[in-house]
Amino acid sequence: MASELVNKTFLITGATSGIGLATAELLGRQGAALIGVGRSAERCRQAEAQLRRANPDARIGCLTADLRLQSEVTRLAGAAADLLAAWGCNRLDGLLNNAGTFTYWMALTADGIETQWAVNHLAGFLLTHHLLPLLAAAPSARVVTVSSDSHYAARLNWNDLQLRRRYNGLATYGNTKLANILFSLELNRRLGNGTRVRAFAADPGLVKTDIGLKGTPGVARWVWKLRRSGGVAPETAARGIAYLLADPAVDGAQDIYWKDGRPKRPSPRALDADSARRLWEVSTRMCSLPQEAQDAPR
Amino acid sequence: MLPGDKRSGNSMIAISGAAGGLGKAFAVECASRGYDLFLTDLSETALETLSRGLRSAYGARVITRACDLTDPAARAGMYREMRAAGLRFWALVNVAGVDFEGPFYEQSSQHIQTIVRLNIEATLDLTHALLEFRDPYDVFRIINVASLAAFAPMPLKATYAASKRFLLDFSLALGAELRDAGVTVTALCPAGLPTTPECVRAIEAQGWVGQITTCDVGRVAVQTLDAALAGRPVVIPGWANQFLQVCGSLVPARLAAWMLGRRWRSAQKISKPAVFSQG
Repeated sequence: MASELVNKTFLITGATSGIGLATAELLGRQGAALIGVGRSAERCRQAEAQLRRANPDARIGCLTADLRLQSEVTRLAGAAADLLAAWGCNRLDGLLNNAGTFTYWMALTADGIETQWAVNHLAGFLLTHHLLPLLAAAPSARVVTVSSDSHYAARLNWNDLQLRRRYNGLATYGNTKLANILFSLELNRRLGNGTRVRAFAADPGLVKTDIGLKGTPGVARWVWKLRRSGGVAPETAARGIAYLLADPAVDGAQDIYWKDGRPKRPSPRALDADSARRLWEVSTRMCSLPQEAQDAPR
Repeated sequence: MLPGDKRSGNSMIAISGAAGGLGKAFAVECASRGYDLFLTDLSETALETLSRGLRSAYGARVITRACDLTDPAARAGMYREMRAAGLRFWALVNVAGVDFEGPFYEQSSQHIQTIVRLNIEATLDLTHALLEFRDPYDVFRIINVASLAAFAPMPLKATYAASKRFLLDFSLALGAELRDAGVTVTALCPAGLPTTPECVRAIEAQGWVGQITTCDVGRVAVQTLDAALAGRPVVIPGWANQFLQVCGSLVPARLAAWMLGRRWRSAQKISKPAVFSQG
């Protein structure tokens, strides 16, 4: 599909390293225009340079945003729209909600939200909300959220979703990855059948990245180093994700969870429509978005 | 429902240092329990961001008021507004506190004054003022954030540890003094909390001891509120910290100071945190 992406535009969060950077590079080589998002301006510049080396002709823009903060997510959506307008392009063909984090100790963001919930789920939820008009303007658009097989063991506790009473970093990570699939499921349900925007969740597999090393104390850091030694390179995971984001073969697919370009059966809890609806309503409140009339309790 | 969980009328719970790590945890926990909140901290922007989230996520009623609690005039201004608005309180959580770590003589006299002004003077003054504004129909709950450092003299944290010792003794005495007046006072004595990158580095520098003594802020807030509602005088989160406190109480103060000095000095060689704030 080498030249098929020439007129397509994608936004990728967490694009300065790991899976996000590898996916951006892959899409860029095929001619796609890219907006990469990272937290640090310096790392954004490095990623931008690397993407330009991969394809000097591609249109590349990097935006910085701290996705822990909802105000930053909203600002990012505005900046992305401005950048697209500057490119003379008023649509987005794909959004990759890839940025993810792991925290060993519980930390609350400035919005009062547990950090993994803020970054792994709500940032993607809110960014998708803001970018939906641009996605809907494309002939066929995808919202892909990077989930993980760690969702299989997850179980949302509706009385204490963020595990404030008994925090566990890994359990929270799994819960947010379950939320990624439920979000994709509910987004599709809300968009309905006639839509040109489809949402999917991707399992990248066990990938050699630094996710388990950032802000993690000794023992957990060592465990992650041991675990990831059996993982695949980010480039391997990127192929499946780029396929899900851009390949026409995925059009019309009803499956929600994918790995390496093939649908995969997620946990039954990830397919529960009631949980998906409830999570959507909770997320709406957590992002201070207005509740839609149809969501009001009957 | 816990005793004292049913609030009469519109009385609120006040939290100082509400935009910091532990303060946010208290604010979120109180909002999730349906309490009306009065939040204060240095930054109005930070308070607005937090309160917007609490209002939307939990439907909480939140009043915010930025105030530099180290400034007596600023505090007086805040009290005037509280009085004018006719605010009533059933609880006060004194979280605001600060530490500037390092050898006593290497610190500026301004830093030393700030520790005393915020940790001691502001806490006492706020407690005094809010007793005036207490809800007359309810038990008044006071939570003072002391520290595990309150239990022993600590070289390199001498002013901070002594200020927390002050709060611990003050809390115990005030609780006994006001028991019959329907006031409970709870002193929270946590070990280092992983609230900022500096705090996390300081915890990591302590190795496995840091690992077992560290508790998550959410759980500390839940446990402390439950303890305050039950009228318990002291909360030490975490079994390892309770064990350390018992051990510390068996050792003469001079010996404890010598041992802690050795520990801190070796921990500081690994990591030199600029600021190690508790709230």
